[in-house]
Amino acid sequence: MALKVVIKKEKVDDARPRQSARDDDKTEIEARILELLRKYPKGINDKILETHMPNLDIQIRVDVINDLLTKKKMKLFQAPGTNELFWGLNEQPVSIKLKEVDKEENVVMRIIEEAGNKGILNKDIRDQSGLNLTTINKILKALEGKNLIKSVLSISVAKIKVYMLFDLQPDRSVTGGSWYTDGEFESELVDIVNQQCYRMLQQKAEAAKLKAMDGPLIVRNASFLSSKEICQMISDMNIVKFNLTVEEIEAILETLVYDGKIEMRMVSDGDERIKTYRIVETLLSSAAIVRIPCGVCPVIVKCGTAGEVQPKNCVYYDQWLD
Amino acid sequence: MSSFTLGHFSQVCSQLLNHYYGEIVGQVGSYLLRRGNRMLNDIPTATGLSIREVKKALAVMIQHNLVKFQASERNNNVAEYTMIHHNVYCLIRYPKYLYMIKRIYGTSEEILLEILLNLGQASASNVIFHSANRLNEANVLSPSALHQSFQRLAQDNFIIRCPKLAENATLLKVPTLEIEEKEKFAVPNVEIEPIARMLKEKATQLGGHCDSEIIWRVNHERFDIELRNVILVNAAARRVDTTAGELYHLILKLWRESSNPDSPVTTPVSYNVIKDAVRKNDSSPILLEHFDHYLRVLYEDSAGLIDRAGDAGGGQFNLDYSKVFENLACASLDSIVLERFGSKALRLFRLTRIQKFMEQDQMQNVAMIPAKEAKMFTYKLLEHNFLQIKELKKGTSNFAPVKSFILYHVELPQVVRTTLEASYKGLFNAMVRQMHDLTENQRLLEKHAMLESMLERLKGDGVPDEEIAELSDTMPPAEKSLVEKIHLMSDNLTLGQTQADETILILESYLKFKSKEL
Repeated sequence: MALKVVIKKEKVDDARPRQSARDDDKTEIEARILELLRKYPKGINDKILETHMPNLDIQIRVDVINDLLTKKKMKLFQAPGTNELFWGLNEQPVSIKLKEVDKEENVVMRIIEEAGNKGILNKDIRDQSGLNLTTINKILKALEGKNLIKSVLSISVAKIKVYMLFDLQPDRSVTGGSWYTDGEFESELVDIVNQQCYRMLQQKAEAAKLKAMDGPLIVRNASFLSSKEICQMISDMNIVKFNLTVEEIEAILETLVYDGKIEMRMVSDGDERIKTYRIVETLLSSAAIVRIPCGVCPVIVKCGTAGEVQPKNCVYYDQWLD
Repeated sequence: MSSFTLGHFSQVCSQLLNHYYGEIVGQVGSYLLRRGNRMLNDIPTATGLSIREVKKALAVMIQHNLVKFQASERNNNVAEYTMIHHNVYCLIRYPKYLYMIKRIYGTSEEILLEILLNLGQASASNVIFHSANRLNEANVLSPSALHQSFQRLAQDNFIIRCPKLAENATLLKVPTLEIEEKEKFAVPNVEIEPIARMLKEKATQLGGHCDSEIIWRVNHERFDIELRNVILVNAAARRVDTTAGELYHLILKLWRESSNPDSPVTTPVSYNVIKDAVRKNDSSPILLEHFDHYLRVLYEDSAGLIDRAGDAGGGQFNLDYSKVFENLACASLDSIVLERFGSKALRLFRLTRIQKFMEQDQMQNVAMIPAKEAKMFTYKLLEHNFLQIKELKKGTSNFAPVKSFILYHVELPQVVRTTLEASYKGLFNAMVRQMHDLTENQRLLEKHAMLESMLERLKGDGVPDEEIAELSDTMPPAEKSLVEKIHLMSDNLTLGQTQADETILILESYLKFKSKEL
């Protein structure tokens, strides 16, 4: 006997629309929504969307809007005055750049941007963003790799790096101006510029002395050089690869004043007061006491009439008397 | 100084007394330096000398203006003796005095001063007599010329009359001495005749003479002023040029003549007066031509060598000693810091001194010195007391430890006092070393001296050269060169002592005028 075999078919859901078809629809709907957003720059709300796309399934609409939000192509905001929610087009150019980066990275980037050209420490990034320090370090490495940010050695907080946007020039307070390279103080450069300035003033003074017949006042006034002139002369000499500003030269000249080698005088030139400098001799050629060993002895405190250090057998005296 | 051990200054003084007056005077002097006012009876018990020796020592010191006496507070009938510290210290400056007088006047004045320094206190006739004796060995100089030289010295206040017995002195057990202001430099009439007569008779002592009651001594304060002026003139010459130095010398003279020597600020002198003096003085033509300029350059200079005090008479100019000596003292300190620690330390020192209060970070930024080096030099200066620290607390929290500002500053009087003490010590060391070198080689030096004098005598007697050469060969050349070396060493040490004295003068003057200003 032949039974009728009926093969049970699996119960399947209603035919869902094809995925690709759905995708095509989605992109089309996205484009339409974006068009609408552009048409109404002030923003659109749900009602407008409905009127323009009446056939749109709510689910599809919600999906598309969510997509656009994540991609940052549109944003949600509350219109002023009403409590309604509106959709608007997102115009931020950064968003285009940040298309491929993470949300956390966004946060970090925003904080770094705000820090401007002074840069920010990674500790401070952690405080502001509330993220984990290791996470931040990872993100920073990634961002550096993408050449979006860079790190600069800060002089104020010894050997700590600050981060700032790639394109920005770091502020002077961070790099310390021309005297610091890579966070290190360039003492040789300072010394070279120092000596050059001193030599220039010496030459000026000697040239002035040739006018001794005109009287001492002429000699004195001729031996002054203003800070601008010195800056110009130094730049002409091309000792340093970059140009030094007048403020930096004045800082160098101030150290020479504190060496006791030159003096400064303010002269009014037209409307402004400028600083002029000249060589001065010290009042004494040298304090006479330094000509005997005791004047410069490092163990003078221990010296006495008895004990290890005595004038009778002092080695410094032995050397001096030979 | 009433302490049981001697401070450095007193050590120097006692060393000087030992050197110039011998051990006994040295011991008495040290005791008085240590203990201050003492009556006669205390001294023998403390020093272990006999009363006769003590009396002699005191007499010598009083004669040489090193000790003064006055009636004791407790018992009016007994005298207390005190050392005059400054005069004892000035023993080291005697060679400088002679050189200065020679430079300003000439040989005859120099001899007069030398005799007066040797005698301590003497009457005018005595001094003239002995000087004439001394000079007669070289040239023939009449006593009247010497009398004029003496008057010149008195006019310029280099010598001063000693106080004489007060009117009621004979009634008191302890005599008091006094002198009136106008009599201090008045030269009495000196009778030249007796002196000339004595000289012809080749006498060694002048007998009784009319002015034997009027006694003179060296005026140390005036010489101090002169030494200070030399330093100031040198400073002016360094700052501008030598002609300015000349001008400054003249102005200093004008100030000295018109001002009280004790006041810290001179009386102002007007432009016209200075110009007249320059014209009269027959100075270099450049000075006359650019007189205005020189004066202006000097008073505009930041060292404070001349201050403009007003506009009357074409401009009033005076000198503020406290300001100018502050600058000189600072220059001395700068030089000492430079030689001991280096130029970077000097920069930090001057920076802190000029800016008054500085933090460590500020110092290294303004001075443009690498952080590590700046810290090292700051702490070195602090260790040797050139810098001082002032702490200011910031924050008023009661619980957490409070952070504080640490400020560095230079407390100038304190640093100067420290350096002054160190200078006295250096001077003392140089003296000790000199004494030690000479006593160690005393035998050798004596032998050499004997040999030299013998050779001189023989040469004078006309002994043939070969014998002289033979005699001089008894001392091998090695020893001769050693003697040479010792003499050279001793000279160097003497020079060194003079140098130390110069710094001491500047620092002492600064402290003196600073205390007067307050």
